[in-house]
Amino acid sequence: MSVDTDTHGSAGSRETFEDVDWEQVDDAHRSLSLKAIIIASIYTVFAAGVIYDYVIKTPGTDTIGTLGVNLQALDWLYILTLLSILCFVVVPLYENKRMTRYYWRQFRKNKAAVISLIYLGIIFVIGSIGPRFLDRPTVNPSNAYQPPVFMSVEEWMPVECAGEVSGGRCHGTWAHPLGTTHEGKDILVSVIYGMEVSMQVGLIAAMITITIAAIVGVSAAYFGGWIDAVLMRYVDIQITFPTFFLYLMVVYLYGGSLFSMIVIFGLLGWGGIARIVRSEALQRREEEYVLAAKNAGASSYWTMRRHLLPNVSNSVITAVTLLIPGLILFEASLAFLGLGDPTVPSWGEVIASGRDDLQYAWWISTIPGVFLFFTILAFNFIGDALRDALDPRSEGSGE
Amino acid sequence: MAGRMRVGNRSGQPEVVDVSNRAADRRRGSSESDEPLLSVQNLKKHYPITEGILSKEVGRVRAVDGIDFDVYPGETVGIVGESGCGKSTAASSLIRLEEPTEGTVQFDGEDITEYDSEEMKAFRRRVQMIFQDPESSFDPRMSIGDAIAEPLTVQGLTDKGRRNEIVADLLERVGLSASDADRYPHELSGGQKQRVGLARALSMNPDMIIADEPVSALDVSIQSEILSLMNDLQANFGLSILIISHNLAVIRQICDRVAVMYLGEIVELGRTDEVFANPQHPYTRALLASIPTADPNDRGMGVELTGDVPSPSNPPSGCRFHTRCPEVIQPEGYEFDQQTWRRVMDFRQKLDDGALNVEAIREMLLTEVDEYETTEEVTTAETKVRLRDEFDIPKPLSDPQAEAVLESAIENIVTGNEDEARDSLATAFATPCETQSPVLEQTASGQTASCLRIENELPPTDLEQTVRSD
Repeated sequence: MSVDTDTHGSAGSRETFEDVDWEQVDDAHRSLSLKAIIIASIYTVFAAGVIYDYVIKTPGTDTIGTLGVNLQALDWLYILTLLSILCFVVVPLYENKRMTRYYWRQFRKNKAAVISLIYLGIIFVIGSIGPRFLDRPTVNPSNAYQPPVFMSVEEWMPVECAGEVSGGRCHGTWAHPLGTTHEGKDILVSVIYGMEVSMQVGLIAAMITITIAAIVGVSAAYFGGWIDAVLMRYVDIQITFPTFFLYLMVVYLYGGSLFSMIVIFGLLGWGGIARIVRSEALQRREEEYVLAAKNAGASSYWTMRRHLLPNVSNSVITAVTLLIPGLILFEASLAFLGLGDPTVPSWGEVIASGRDDLQYAWWISTIPGVFLFFTILAFNFIGDALRDALDPRSEGSGE
Repeated sequence: MAGRMRVGNRSGQPEVVDVSNRAADRRRGSSESDEPLLSVQNLKKHYPITEGILSKEVGRVRAVDGIDFDVYPGETVGIVGESGCGKSTAASSLIRLEEPTEGTVQFDGEDITEYDSEEMKAFRRRVQMIFQDPESSFDPRMSIGDAIAEPLTVQGLTDKGRRNEIVADLLERVGLSASDADRYPHELSGGQKQRVGLARALSMNPDMIIADEPVSALDVSIQSEILSLMNDLQANFGLSILIISHNLAVIRQICDRVAVMYLGEIVELGRTDEVFANPQHPYTRALLASIPTADPNDRGMGVELTGDVPSPSNPPSGCRFHTRCPEVIQPEGYEFDQQTWRRVMDFRQKLDDGALNVEAIREMLLTEVDEYETTEEVTTAETKVRLRDEFDIPKPLSDPQAEAVLESAIENIVTGNEDEARDSLATAFATPCETQSPVLEQTASGQTASCLRIENELPPTDLEQTVRSD
């Protein structure tokens, strides 16, 4: 079949809608885009890694023997989370530069949020790199109660003052810039390890939650009928389920572990957000643009992915920015209560270890507490700014 | 099947010019021999009313209840009717945006109600829709370039560069600039958005566009711009257009033929000029009479529809319009003035619906007349007078026999025997309109209409005369 020539006489050699030969389009091999191939291969490599670690390699040995790297289940989950953030947040932001610049201009208006973002970026980078190079804080009774640098305590407090002793007081040193705990663990190193723990808790649980909540909420709203009924009744049941006691039972049976905590709270904590997503998506489904997409021949997946999901993202982001600090705080509380993973030096654990010494050694609880406080505050500020920035109807839009 | 996708396939000739010529021919009313592009037969869309956890069906909303019409290539057909008559449902179910309950829709000779999802997707390229509300028909998170390209993308045009070129070209053709592609819907005005809506519909190079109230959300000045743009595009691309509107001025401006809908049925169908010049159905006449005119001496025809639009879940028996028809046929044996007859029918209708509240009338009298202390003291005579006043029924009626029937009925109502009154009125004042359903048939003036007056060749009423003299 011949292709139309430019009979209408509009601008030059540009292709027009009349030129599209749909027969050819139909016959054309539907090749996947480069991006889809790259994303698929990234996940394939990830899956291969997991299979190798759990099926192929000899149990009990390191994942990568020569480098001495041994990845645990939690690490694999964290890698998956970071890959997903890369593929579904960073890459789209990079691809839609105009949109990104626009969101950034909006986001920038909130100074507190910008500072929060920088702060969280630093926490993330230090928390990711630090534990690779620093040894875990070890128990060293002779090194206990060292004060932070520039501070001093009564001479009798530390068993052996690491720093200079003058005027009956022990001064802090750069060997332990943030001091040590009653067990002699370096607080700076503990805090750095705690950063990784907090990021893992917040990001992994949030990824699990968002993924499930968005899929369940959007499908329930889009399909309606019995799919909606089944999914939402399940959510009702799940919300009444006492997750905390399930976790206690797991702690009792198998001992506390960060992995089980994240998985339990991630897999059972999405009900509320799914409800929000559903109610929001229900409204969107009635909009004419959904009908317009159907009229264009779009599939259900397309409509949900391209129309419903972006339009419920406001509520999802709001909910998630409340969820992440909540989870971090929750992990800290559990660790504080001694229900956390004893092998993981989390902020909550350090805070708890300084509980009895508040009177003499305030820094043990206070310093990780300050990090916890600012981390949670930062997430809240960022959530606030994102909500404003992502609303396309907010003023000062466009060019 | 892909062979049907091209505009050029309708004829072997260089198509654009040829089709627009044919469109022009069509507008001049020639070449009736062509096959219709779209042929709708007995299309029904019922929404079930369900109850309980087992969703037992307890009733149906008959939004569209058996409509037939054709649209020829290059032709503009309008569907007109008041809100809730089912015209938008007709549009969306005929292209299966909602699955029709019954009926067939032939497009280019193939029944699209039989299509599977793959065939349906291909069919979507040939018929595109323009939506009523420009605010809600664009995704606020999608740039208008992406919105226009959406049909192209979902239909498999994966090359972004090609899509961008097509979008730029389309934007310019509908009177916007190519750089607008990056803007978001909230940055455009209503008129601009509707232009984008046209661009989106055109992007598939369709054979037909269905426009559901395309201009009703726009300012009058912008309305005519959009309509003339639609006209130009139709002439350029030989499109068929089905336009849904409640606005008769819009229909008159751009339609070749018009179908008038009432409560899910087409009551009149014909060439626009014929329908407007010589309306055959009382409903069409009432609609036309409701158009305001610029002549200050023209006080209107006094044709005013009484009562509410009946619910499509329980449409009236017989002719669906009989509950409101100003020209409802009079029973034999009585002599009514047509207007009085309509009022008596309103009174009967209200009584049948159980909406006649004698107690409320008594209470009204109680507040107006100081002497009464309680509603029991209100006299029967006064209540009866007030009841008549409520419906503007003169006392006595000109026909003594009718007066006797009515008076005894009112007496019965006031004394509480509503059932008896209902029965006696139903037997005495029966009209064929409430039992017989009219069918669409050819009228003398060219169009088809469904009215018992036409079927039974009854003379036009005095009311009708007034309208005609306009």
